Amino acid sequence: MIDAVRDYRRVVLEVVRKDLLVELRSRQVLNTAAVFSLLVVVIFAFSFARSFQDVSVVASGALWIAFVFAGTFGVSQNAASEEADAGLDGLLLVPVDRSAIYVGKVLSNTAFTTAVALVTLCCTVVFLGFDVDPASIPLLLLVVVLAAFGFTSTGVLVATMTTRARLRELLLPLLLVPLVIPVLLAGVELTRAIIDGLPTASWLQLLLVYDGVLFLTGLATFEYVVER
Amino acid sequence: MGSIHVDGVTKRLGSTVAVRDVSFTVESGEHVGLFGPNGAGKTTLMQMLSTLSAPSEGRIRIDDTEVTPDATDVRRKLGVVGHRPMVYGTLTARENLRLHARLRGVNTERVERVLEQVNLRTRASTRVEEYSHGMRKRLAIARSVLHDPTVLLLDEPYTGLDQRSAADLRRILEQFADRTVVIATHDLERGASVCDRALVLVDGDVVRDVRTDDRDADAFKRVYERAIGLADPR
Repeated sequence: MIDAVRDYRRVVLEVVRKDLLVELRSRQVLNTAAVFSLLVVVIFAFSFARSFQDVSVVASGALWIAFVFAGTFGVSQNAASEEADAGLDGLLLVPVDRSAIYVGKVLSNTAFTTAVALVTLCCTVVFLGFDVDPASIPLLLLVVVLAAFGFTSTGVLVATMTTRARLRELLLPLLLVPLVIPVLLAGVELTRAIIDGLPTASWLQLLLVYDGVLFLTGLATFEYVVER
Repeated sequence: MGSIHVDGVTKRLGSTVAVRDVSFTVESGEHVGLFGPNGAGKTTLMQMLSTLSAPSEGRIRIDDTEVTPDATDVRRKLGVVGHRPMVYGTLTARENLRLHARLRGVNTERVERVLEQVNLRTRASTRVEEYSHGMRKRLAIARSVLHDPTVLLLDEPYTGLDQRSAADLRRILEQFADRTVVIATHDLERGASVCDRALVLVDGDVVRDVRTDDRDADAFKRVYERAIGLADPR
């Protein structure tokens, strides 16, 4: 039993390490998503910044639009890199419960999505003059991480399912976004509440519970998703 | 160690029956070839043997343990070479093998020995995306033997291999003389030369089960061509 837990943890960590190394080499997800985030913020600055009294509304919109793109692009590219030379099959042959691969992939994709969200947040400060209270930054970070975790918990599953489909670029957002609407809604509402100094407990509870549901569903079904 | 029992296995892929009620046994230490034309069901059968796919009907056992996708103990015994190398192009050969060594709890020192065995040591620091098809195949073979498996499953191992690489594979298989090896291949001559026995698959069904260790290549070729309907059955 102890050996099994140790093997499981080792595979989770190795999958995370491998995904980070592959991304560090290719820079495909981070570079593309960061440039997209920058463009979103700049376009928002040109289009809305003067017409809106409250910059925080524009900044919040830019943040969560970039988040959805980065999250979708990240899980899609990650699944594509696993498919390219059948790397995922190599992982599936490792003698450990296959949910360890899922856990590793959720953690690495959460890291990518969070990194892009932080870049977007910095861009909103620079280009939109978004004034974030330093005291609220830790809570804002927590919200971004929790939202990224929920998003990728489903994203990894759906991307793995659609990676061999002919229209995967179309199918992935069509299937994924409706499933993560509660995560996005909670993220947007929590960002507004944090900026305006409103209570956050109820939305945080919703985000935590929904994250748990999505993650446990992924854990239970990953084995069936990867089976041919 | 390493006997394989395939009992009434059928695999349906949508409305297609890829493998149809197949039964055979591979004794421990036996080297068996799966031969057959395209679409005969060789790869589907290999995927079921390697736990990547579950049978629709029937069952497969390795050393009395049922082969199912969640059979972690079975996967410990298997070394698998598929059509694709199961590695990552942006990583080097050494990084890929070290990753698989760590995933399986194998000492990473073994990576250098295996790289030497497949003649990739001098190119081990090159990214796999810069490798030729044959080099990727050699890397796949290295990955499959890294954990010293008792059962080696090779799906089209000779595709893209030059003569030297094929000789390297032959040498590796000689080291596995006491282990169970199943090779699915189109290459009758090379396949039959390393196998004790051949199973010929046609339309998902095993239509011939013949010894190859007591026949020359031409004799086996005639048997094979008759089995797949290429030659006069007389």
